Amino acid sequence: MKKEIISFIDQKLQKYDPVWMAENGAGGQRTRYRDDGSGIARYREWRGVEDTFQDYVSWLKNVGYMGAMVAKDPVKIMKGIWEYRWMGSFLGSFAFVDRIFEGYRGRELDIANIHGNAIVRILTLRIGLILHNDARLGGGEMTDKMIGLDETIPPLFTAGFPTLNAEPMQTMPEFVVCDVDQHLDPYYIDVAESYGLAPDVCSRCSAETGVAIDDAFPVFGKLVLSTNQPCNASEATSMFQRRRFHQKGIEDYPFVFAMQHNTKNGNDYSKEELRQAIQKIEEVYGVKYDWDALFKAAKNMNHQNRIELEKWEIFATPYSPLSGISESLYKLVEWALVNGHDAYFNEVDDKVIEILRQAVRDQYLPYKGKTRHRAFLWGPSAMYYTDFPTWTQNCWGINIVLNMDSTMGHNMINTEDPEQALTDLALFSEKGVMRHHAVGGWDNVNAVWEWAKRLNCDMVICNDNVACKGMNGVHALLEEQAEAFGFHFLFLPHDLEDCRTIPRAEIRKAVNDYMSIVMGEEPLDPTLVDFDDAEAW
Amino acid sequence: MHDLKYTLYFETLLEEPCNELVKQALEEGDIALGYNCYYIPETLLNLPGCFSSRLRAPNCSATPIGDYYLTNRNCPYTRAILERAVEGSYNYLSSLFGAEACSAMERMEEHFEQIAPVKHEPFVTTIIDAPLKSDQAALTYYRNELRDKVVAKVRELGVDTSDDALRAAIDDHNEVSRIITEIGDFRKLDNPPVTGYEFHLIQLVSEVCPHRLILPYLRETLEEIKARKPDATPAFRARVVLCGSEIDDPEFTKLLEFCGALVVADRYCFGSVPSREQIEILEGETPFEAITRHYLQTNLCARFMSEEKIDQRTDVLEALVKEYKADGVIVESMKFCEFWSYEKVLASHILSRERDIPTCQIEKDYTLTGAGQLRTRFQAFVEGLEIKKLEAAGKGVRS
Amino acid sequence: MKKLIRLILKLVRTAVIAGVVGFVLTFTIYMTNAENKLIYDYVRPFLTKHYDKQARDRRI
Repeated sequence: MKKEIISFIDQKLQKYDPVWMAENGAGGQRTRYRDDGSGIARYREWRGVEDTFQDYVSWLKNVGYMGAMVAKDPVKIMKGIWEYRWMGSFLGSFAFVDRIFEGYRGRELDIANIHGNAIVRILTLRIGLILHNDARLGGGEMTDKMIGLDETIPPLFTAGFPTLNAEPMQTMPEFVVCDVDQHLDPYYIDVAESYGLAPDVCSRCSAETGVAIDDAFPVFGKLVLSTNQPCNASEATSMFQRRRFHQKGIEDYPFVFAMQHNTKNGNDYSKEELRQAIQKIEEVYGVKYDWDALFKAAKNMNHQNRIELEKWEIFATPYSPLSGISESLYKLVEWALVNGHDAYFNEVDDKVIEILRQAVRDQYLPYKGKTRHRAFLWGPSAMYYTDFPTWTQNCWGINIVLNMDSTMGHNMINTEDPEQALTDLALFSEKGVMRHHAVGGWDNVNAVWEWAKRLNCDMVICNDNVACKGMNGVHALLEEQAEAFGFHFLFLPHDLEDCRTIPRAEIRKAVNDYMSIVMGEEPLDPTLVDFDDAEAW
Repeated sequence: MHDLKYTLYFETLLEEPCNELVKQALEEGDIALGYNCYYIPETLLNLPGCFSSRLRAPNCSATPIGDYYLTNRNCPYTRAILERAVEGSYNYLSSLFGAEACSAMERMEEHFEQIAPVKHEPFVTTIIDAPLKSDQAALTYYRNELRDKVVAKVRELGVDTSDDALRAAIDDHNEVSRIITEIGDFRKLDNPPVTGYEFHLIQLVSEVCPHRLILPYLRETLEEIKARKPDATPAFRARVVLCGSEIDDPEFTKLLEFCGALVVADRYCFGSVPSREQIEILEGETPFEAITRHYLQTNLCARFMSEEKIDQRTDVLEALVKEYKADGVIVESMKFCEFWSYEKVLASHILSRERDIPTCQIEKDYTLTGAGQLRTRFQAFVEGLEIKKLEAAGKGVRS
Repeated sequence: MKKLIRLILKLVRTAVIAGVVGFVLTFTIYMTNAENKLIYDYVRPFLTKHYDKQARDRRI
């Protein structure tokens, strides 16, 4: 009976479903948006009764997480919003979640919302913790027990300091917030450039520099570990940031990794660096490293990685309802931010892998079977266009099966022998965000073809970050190899965190041109081909 | 001042990578070992039977092939080197020893392997991972990398890499350095008998020519400068320290000096600071250990992250300003250079705001394409320095 | 006993009414995208004005 009622309502309201509209020439995803370039929808997506209700419940959960964050320390949260421009950008989070999961239905939506809730949960917890203990806002009980980490240092090793709390310095003010609001980082980039920094440097690092110059880092801890990861500009911006930390009375320690991470010399060096970083924290905070605490977190990480390896097997089939941004954003947060520290993410993984296994058993075809191409997304992606994979699927039926940054460190960590654990951790940590394949030698970047073959992709989309000197340096060779190996291949120009250089519309145009001119295909949803979202978050 | 006897000859030697002296050494049976970066100790490549050749791309006005492989949004030095490699300018080399000092350099060096532009048999390319700190762990890593990827490969090319051979290489380095330092020291005088341009030529030929063949010319030039009488009135209105990345075109120094600024110290890649310091073998050290320690300690690359190295960069500049009585510092960065883009801003800030040293920041291409704009900048800077000097003199205070 | 049952019924009724009202309210906000419109059109412009006026300790 329930089924019949739902089916009846679905039939009556299907004309409001953008997917149905696109299928029937009655509009599409953009029909419900305001036409002022704001990216604000007049109403939320009608996905049918069950999926809409599921999405509504997920939205309620997110409201709950945010409410809980505010309720814990309303004064500090309000002070934080008043103090930090980047906190204002987080107000775009609801629109962000809508944007990245647009067009999702059925099991894709189930997983996306499980992931979305996990991401909102951890971010609200972390933002709450940071602001509560921010010395600038009055400080808290953990202020002196926090360690600042460069956001690209995998924090797993800090689990060995259970009485301390390691927080990435740049993730909230500059990195993840760029996913939410494309217009934030240009402000910080302008600040850096107004002090003479060249506009052709990596925009992520330029934005970090701007945050430092603008005095917009939260203030906590006694020590910040800076790093060379992932590449040149990160090393260089660290030298600016350390000055600001020093001005706040916070010491800095450069924790560097071998750039060439496939050699024994390199791994030995990274291991020694890891050992010294641990010693440094012990000295500064007067605590001893607790190997058992590390092993406990390493077990979480190993569990995560075992599931990850199984996921990759499933991604190689046509039946995976997990792909695109739902996969990559969750993986990024789970790997780079959580990194074994929070067992909740293991529960999420367990839940999701079950859905995936069932999808394979049922030979479930995601996205209503509309996938035309399976693409591997290589190179660091545009942070200001997080919903790009969602768009490729909805507009052209290009399923981004996996993203380069989802292949980060997946070796198991020994959980019994400290010496072996350090060796494993060094290797694991070297293969970090934007790092594992983008730098450290030709073999790393050229692994794209193996990955694409392994996951049965027919297409490789290579992010062409205009300011990334390392990836620029493989342009022609990758293109020549794509032809030799028979992959559909296109470069996707972007400027990582500066939406002004190459706006989202231009990124879409690169795909539109390729799909219509080279591939001779028609879009699945014509409203998505060309639209204005320049003023959108 | 009249021209130095060998000015024209040195200019000619810098016209092509495979110059007259390189050809002579090859004919005499030596092998040429190419490198790009200070992280590769020149001394390890100047062993008996081989010589170092630091890669330049003179007269490279366009880089269509370099742009194709590396894009036109990448370091122009690396594009120019790749361009010249494909054109065949480095076919005399038996190796390229690269350093992953920056991404652009590393990618360019990879192309020496991937597209094999150098037509020489044998030809080997290796790329070391260059450390970012100078502590013991970094030194060990640096040594391991150089041992496995440079010394071992040089040995495979049939060169003697024994301690005796390395000791001889250190002697050779120290002799070249002694002469160049002595010449460079003349720039400390109020009215130096050598110009920055001439010194740039001398320093460059010492980096691109076989030492045993260039040494006689350097010795003779030193003697000539000792006896040289500078013009009674100096042609320069200001003295500057030039600091920056790859500056291997003496025409750049000439341009600067035409604007009235004498370059009294050269703190840039291809410059003599660092590179022409004496290598000492400390007690208990092998020659290899001495060389590697020396190169890590003296390296002033903008990519070093540890506090002592960051401070060392500005401390050295400040010391050069004092020692060479410079009026200001010009900090150069090459287009698309991540490290120097940052270092330029930071060094200028520290020098001008915290150490009261006038500083001018410029960005340039590898070639002198933006000469007009640079000239304007330099002239304005020189005028500023002059005004500052006059003001200081008016108050009876020397700037 | 009756009093207790009445109280329970009252509580249930209040909970149901609150639930229904809550659902209608939140679902309306959800479907009309009201929170995003409010933030985009009013809250953010107000905050941006404030951020633009802030005096920050800008330095290297």
